[in-house]
Amino acid sequence: MSQKTTYIPEPELVQGNHTFGSITSLVGDIVETPAPRWWYIAFAVSNLLLGLLLAMLAYLIWEGTGVWGLQNPVGWGWAIVNFVWWVGIGHAGTLISAILFLFRQGWRTAINRFAEAMTIFAVMCAGIFPAVHVGRIWVIYWVFPLPNQMQMWPNFNSPLLWDVFAVSTYFTVSLLFWYVGLVPDLATLRDRVKSKLGKMLYGTFALGWTGGNRQWQHYEKSYLILAGLATPLVLSVHTIVSFDFAVSIIPGWHTTIFPPYFVAGAVFSGFAMVMTLMLITRKIYGLQDIMTINHIEKMNIIILVTGNMVGFAYIMEFFIAWYSGFEYEKFAFVNRAFGPYAWAYWIMFLCNVISPQFFWSKKMRTSITASFILSIVVNIGMWFERFVITVTSLAQDYIPASWGYYSPTWVDILTYVGTFGLFFSNFLLFLRFLPMVAIAEVKMVMPQADPHNYDEDGNELPKESH
Amino acid sequence: MSKNKQKTYWRSLNELAKNEEYKKFAEREFPEGASELRDGYTRRNFLQIMGASIALAGFAACRKPVKKIVPHSRMPEYMVPGRALFYATAAPTGSYLTGLLVETNEGRPTKIEGNPDHPSSKGGTNIQHQASVLDMYDPDRSRGIRHNGESSSWNDFLQAANTSLTSSARIAFISEPNSSATLNRIKRQALQKYPNAQWITYAPFSEENQLLGNQIAFGRKLRTLPDISQARVIISFDADFMGTEADSVRNIRAFADGRRMSSAADDINRLYVVESNYSLTGSNADHRLRIKTSQIKPLLRAVVAELSDNFSALSAFRGYSNALRNREWVGILADEIRGNQGSSLVMAGADHDAETHALVAAINDAAGNTTRTVNYAALPFTDEANQHEALAQLVTQMNQGQIDAVVMLGGNPVFTAPANLNFAEALRSVPFSVHLANHVDETSRASVWHINRAHYLEYWGDGYDYTGVPSVIQPMIQPLFDGKSEIEVLGSIVSGETIDAVEEVKSTWRPLLGSGFETKWQTLLHDGMLTGTEFQRASVSLQASGLQSLVQGASDTADDGLELVIKPDPRILDGSLANNGWLQELPDPMTKITWDNVALLSPSTAEKLGISTRRFGQTDVDMLTISANGESFTIAAWVVPGHTDDNITIYAGYGRQGVGRVADGVGQNAYALRTEANPLYTSNIGVTLASGSYDIACVQDHHSMEGRPLVREASLTEYREDPRFAADMVYVPGKKGGAEHPVTLFEAQTFPERQPQWGMAIDLATCIGCGVCTIACQAENNIPVIGKEEVRRGREMHWIRTDRYFSGDERGDAKVVHQPVTCMHCELAPCEQVCPVAATTHSDDGLNQMTYNRCIGTRYCANNCPFKVRRFNFFNYTKEYLTTGDDPEVIQMAMNPDVSIRFRGVMEKCTYCVQRISRGKIDTKLETGNSIKPADGTVKTACQQACPANAITFGDLTDDQSVISVTKRNERNYVMLEELGIRPRTSYLAKIRNTNEQLA
Repeated sequence: MSQKTTYIPEPELVQGNHTFGSITSLVGDIVETPAPRWWYIAFAVSNLLLGLLLAMLAYLIWEGTGVWGLQNPVGWGWAIVNFVWWVGIGHAGTLISAILFLFRQGWRTAINRFAEAMTIFAVMCAGIFPAVHVGRIWVIYWVFPLPNQMQMWPNFNSPLLWDVFAVSTYFTVSLLFWYVGLVPDLATLRDRVKSKLGKMLYGTFALGWTGGNRQWQHYEKSYLILAGLATPLVLSVHTIVSFDFAVSIIPGWHTTIFPPYFVAGAVFSGFAMVMTLMLITRKIYGLQDIMTINHIEKMNIIILVTGNMVGFAYIMEFFIAWYSGFEYEKFAFVNRAFGPYAWAYWIMFLCNVISPQFFWSKKMRTSITASFILSIVVNIGMWFERFVITVTSLAQDYIPASWGYYSPTWVDILTYVGTFGLFFSNFLLFLRFLPMVAIAEVKMVMPQADPHNYDEDGNELPKESH
Repeated sequence: MSKNKQKTYWRSLNELAKNEEYKKFAEREFPEGASELRDGYTRRNFLQIMGASIALAGFAACRKPVKKIVPHSRMPEYMVPGRALFYATAAPTGSYLTGLLVETNEGRPTKIEGNPDHPSSKGGTNIQHQASVLDMYDPDRSRGIRHNGESSSWNDFLQAANTSLTSSARIAFISEPNSSATLNRIKRQALQKYPNAQWITYAPFSEENQLLGNQIAFGRKLRTLPDISQARVIISFDADFMGTEADSVRNIRAFADGRRMSSAADDINRLYVVESNYSLTGSNADHRLRIKTSQIKPLLRAVVAELSDNFSALSAFRGYSNALRNREWVGILADEIRGNQGSSLVMAGADHDAETHALVAAINDAAGNTTRTVNYAALPFTDEANQHEALAQLVTQMNQGQIDAVVMLGGNPVFTAPANLNFAEALRSVPFSVHLANHVDETSRASVWHINRAHYLEYWGDGYDYTGVPSVIQPMIQPLFDGKSEIEVLGSIVSGETIDAVEEVKSTWRPLLGSGFETKWQTLLHDGMLTGTEFQRASVSLQASGLQSLVQGASDTADDGLELVIKPDPRILDGSLANNGWLQELPDPMTKITWDNVALLSPSTAEKLGISTRRFGQTDVDMLTISANGESFTIAAWVVPGHTDDNITIYAGYGRQGVGRVADGVGQNAYALRTEANPLYTSNIGVTLASGSYDIACVQDHHSMEGRPLVREASLTEYREDPRFAADMVYVPGKKGGAEHPVTLFEAQTFPERQPQWGMAIDLATCIGCGVCTIACQAENNIPVIGKEEVRRGREMHWIRTDRYFSGDERGDAKVVHQPVTCMHCELAPCEQVCPVAATTHSDDGLNQMTYNRCIGTRYCANNCPFKVRRFNFFNYTKEYLTTGDDPEVIQMAMNPDVSIRFRGVMEKCTYCVQRISRGKIDTKLETGNSIKPADGTVKTACQQACPANAITFGDLTDDQSVISVTKRNERNYVMLEELGIRPRTSYLAKIRNTNEQLA
């Protein structure tokens, strides 16, 4: 290596010359001080939407799935689209916490708590749909392998059954992972809050954390193990969701590229969602020092990479359809781009493939406005991707006489809108009562956590004013 | 027999049926504590009543033996609870009968089948027959006698009739065409008793023109009896003999038999159709000429002129010429007729005028077809006068106060009579009017008396089939609502007191059957017909004067402007069946529209009128305001490829009001534009694009096969060159040589060691696409009617559908193929693999089963079905269907007890009629002791049994000699989507068109 090369240190992950104490205050004060007025307004709106969701679900269950726009060729519509979309969003959290953790990406600490919470709430939103979309929800428990006197087991060949396991496992592990990471911070809050109830609740959930050396040793080990467990799940859950389609024989569904393509798409949309939420909260709560432009740029790079993977998959699907020589498959893809649902296809293509290309420019990557707009555009695009896959394939498959055009009803639309109520109600509660940044972990990536007085060559470092 | 007892009995059961506790009782299966039943109905009493109802439907004279109620301790003969019984009867359709077998379950008729021994049916039925059982259980049927709109009684009516109908009264009897010998006997009595009376036989669509046409040609009113089975070339001038024309079941069967090919060496008939709208018959033509209705007669004249050089009988037409004389088709049709003397058959649509029929008769006779492919018979029940004119005269007389009473036996002249007559107005000026009708319909509301009519499954009657084979109509059940038949009403009017219909019928038959009457009578009832008897075939000779009049009077209608044609609806015919949900929900065989009539027109005409092209998925269509004959209305426009340009065709029978919850408000009343002068078509009508749009529930949104090898067809020549064209049309990966299946990693799932293994084949060469399979399936499998809105949303529930594809030039002579599609029972069924709860699985005998109880309704199976044959209960359709109206139990009686009904949220689909298979297996096991392999042909699916074309074959694939195995070895056999490797058990036999090379 030439003498001229110099080591360019990463930009500091926490800016603004914070001390450990000021970080704790920065995050802890949000929970400890009374909630601002906007929070109550936002919470009220979210609750209204949540109420809407419950009303729509009640109506659905009372009347039957006929209240949706489903029909003969199209047995899955918005419900499944929403399910896949929310599950996809739920990907970012565990990816950030687990995979980036294993890869020792220190920048993850600023956003991991936040992203994990988002994951859990997104999976909750997602989980509603497969449950309520069935015709007879009162026997939905038959999908679980419960021993019964008839020795009637579920069909283990069915991808829907795999879904049940995949999503529930993912949810469980994500929740556990999130909670384990929360323990040290809950202890911090326990020590800081003034109210008796708060002390009791935080104390209970802090599980007697004192910050002792052995506790930290156990904590780090278990966190590492959970990260190891969660990592394959990041890949598996959307792989299995993609199997719902890939295992079938419907042209446009029956595609081997689906597992990597779905995972890439999920990371894509998950990061976009994290970005949207992060840009809002860092502004409102003044967390710009922790969630820096540098973080935003890194996330935008991931969005760019996964966006291109998705775009590659779109094009590859066309190639394979042509290369297969299978006329039905060829038709399915040409029809997507030029058939009755072409509008949806091109919205998808524009949002998912064209729009991330802006992030090749550093100026765009580091622009908060651009990031915010594109993050929303990406999620619109990803919703349409699922719509295109689910609906266009079913609407026009093998037998032209059976073709039908699917459109949603108002119940479909309001149910989807309602899930945002569930998501934001939970998310606002999270912002209000839990530390939205992993305080302990952020501290670990601050220079103070690594008090070396000499550089690699043994030279004394210039003193900083900490 | 005691009349009173009868009445009380049925009133009681009606009350019982409406009683909540009875409902619980019936649901419970084993009644606990009969004391729970309300006052007076002890358990024993109940069983007696139930027993009696069984006995009623019992053998032969259902009604007669019920002088005493039979307790269950003495089992009626043949009666095993839970087992269906079949009785022979016949269904009257206008002036002819079709022989039927009716399945009854515990005294309830539930399913109509064709009588395999009866020449009119040979086991087949048409959609109206299949749906007729629902008509009987129509909860909207009239339930009593009404006098000026108020509820009244039969005795009051009789009293009134006796008072008003004095022997000198000027009475007009208006009846529907009716072949009943008994009715005609009483009719003669009536005309004797009332010397000033007149009798008019009126139906909006009748055979009157044909009879009059033969009168021109042969000098006598004769019925034409076509024998399609003897014809090598069939030329139809707008005769929809597979659809709305008379005797369709026989004609379809004869046509299909002439198309059946066991190998490429077989010869098949050739069908030419000349018509304006795309009819079912036209869709099965080898060659079809689309031409305006007004030009059909001129074309026919041109053909006659072309033939006149060859046939001296037609010499009157020598030198005749008109604008159509040089059309290519004139020469071609003439060539075919010349080349197939004695084996060609020319037919004309019943609604074409008498001259058209006369021309057709002349061609047939000149070409030597008489006695070979066509016969003629004088009907024992024809009125001499021209009935169209007679009705018009009557209306004039009514308006002038020259009529004292009108007695209408069926029919609905207020709705159907030519609009210019204004029959309703005329009827109001008659002091005493009686109308016998199923519903309190348009005519009943305008009459003084309304009498509720009995259904043919409820009354005693008789009549002749189209060719004159006599049959007795025997009731399957006591009249549900105490209705009366034509015989009862007319007989009681004539005799002044209530008559006993069965005695009347018997007294008609006594002289016919001769000695040993009772035995012969029982045999007659059992067989359903008197074998070996037919109408006397008339020997005919062309009347020179008749032909002369055809040339002299020839004034060809100018071929300009838009014409409007009004035809009977393929499903509800003249509108009398409009309150039948099965028929309304059956997709029209050509347009696939349900629950509506539309203005049918061609793509070019649509463009000319400024109608926007319908997008894929668009259900609201443009509307047209059509004015003709001084009236106008607005109706949805529907574009049909292959329709004639400058022609608008509308089916009549819709737009009924105040009839019932099914019929009301469906479609537009086309009769409003139909006049005496223009009964079939009106030229130069006014059409403008109306504002707004109209929602249409069409079950097929896309009409092109997109070049996919779904229906495989070839011309006869191509087929002979490459007999395996169908099977070889698609490359199936891994399928080597003549292997049955492609190479697979999966274990062979045909269970060869388990017998039987069920399979089906559908012959597209004989399937005509009529849709009777759909209704037969609906009746057999308790499929609910879901209504227009749900159909519009694409949720039709039919287990078997008929896909119809247009091919060729959409703006020109588009061709049509029909393909019935139902569950293929794939051996490697994609649906089974994806169900998370294993609700759909494979049975040992190769059925793809659907376990409703286990289904949670993910719809994944339906998504993964490449044939899209699975149907989902998006709502609680069955409950809604079975609990409509104030008296839901009535419609519940139509249900097949062997098939469970499905709750909301579960998937359903074709089962290959598993209940019939199980019945067959049980019976075989009972007979043999160990085998569960029914003999070939003993298990028939409902669709197969109903099919008049015999296009569906079903049976055991493990039996090498079974019909299904033989059929599947046919070279034309192919499996749809075979390349997917799912191994469907249902296969198709490719369609063959017998094309004329000159037109190809």
